[in-house]
Amino acid sequence: MAASCAVGLGVSLARGLVRYAEASRLLAPCRVLPQSCIHTTTALEGNKNWERKNRVLHQPQPPEETRRAAEVFHCRRQIKYSKDKMWYLAKMIRGMTIEQAIAQLEFNDKKGAAIIKEVLLEAQEMAVKSHNVEYKSNLYVAESFSGKGQYLKRIRIHGRGMFGIMDKVYCHYFVKLVEGVAPTEEPRTGFDQAKEYVQQLRNRTIIHSL
Amino acid sequence: MCTVVPALAVQGPGIFPQPHRNEETEEHSFLDNIFWMAAPKKRRTIEVNRCRRRNPQKLIEIKTNIEPCSECGNLKQKHVLCGFCYEKVRRETAIIRGQIQAQEGKPLNNPAVETVVLYEGEKPADTDAGKRIVERKRQRPSWFTQY
Repeated sequence: MAASCAVGLGVSLARGLVRYAEASRLLAPCRVLPQSCIHTTTALEGNKNWERKNRVLHQPQPPEETRRAAEVFHCRRQIKYSKDKMWYLAKMIRGMTIEQAIAQLEFNDKKGAAIIKEVLLEAQEMAVKSHNVEYKSNLYVAESFSGKGQYLKRIRIHGRGMFGIMDKVYCHYFVKLVEGVAPTEEPRTGFDQAKEYVQQLRNRTIIHSL
Repeated sequence: MCTVVPALAVQGPGIFPQPHRNEETEEHSFLDNIFWMAAPKKRRTIEVNRCRRRNPQKLIEIKTNIEPCSECGNLKQKHVLCGFCYEKVRRETAIIRGQIQAQEGKPLNNPAVETVVLYEGEKPADTDAGKRIVERKRQRPSWFTQY
């Protein structure tokens, strides 16, 4: 996981690193390319798709349709924390109202809790300022998850001249706040699951039959 | 002419000691020792790993003992003092302590009498006759009762 201790001998690992460096130089973005495959981002920048989701413009709704709930997408990149540890906090606040989530994070002792609380408060402010949300507490956490950031690699010295490559872990945190009340999902019982399974079996058809 | 057969300078044992072989046996014993160590037999699949990492025992429990403070309205835990109110009191006491330090001058110079903190517009009462007085140039805070 975090400290990937691939114990190897010095020379072969150095050769491996040199090969990796050469390959990355060969695959560097070219200056002259046909129009269909222009890379405007480098490998180091990563995907910024979550931030782009805020710029989506929907069609105007007809008057009889129910009002589409306002959605706010927010994220923080390159947090110095493990994505696996951050996942537990993200999982805890899924589906909660924003006030509940902030309360839980305030009294949690983990390092990521303070960071997620900051992100939620920023997102709440963004929602009220620029996303047409009327009441700042009328939001709930629709989606919340963590992703792997770009790691730094360091050498961790073991005994007998061996060494491993240590990863300095970073993570991203993504959250989507939606206006309104969170939809309550009925907990699926075993009986419901069995019923669905039987229905799936009954829906099967024999192809190319009469 | 008799050829002189080279003889050993030292009459040692018949079998020569071989230091080179000792190094090899050391390497072998290091690798041999690994044989008796516990090692995983198979790779743990991601499904098995997920079952272990996500089972309810490892998930964070949500706290049900959070309530708003009756004084300031910030959130607090039921069995813990409100953090905001505590910080407010801590700042005021830090200022009072600074004034006491300035009054005393050097460390371990406190007089053997009680201390009374007086805010703006307050006179020392008769009961505060021989006590040390610390003046604070502000209105008395509501939470610091005089009597």
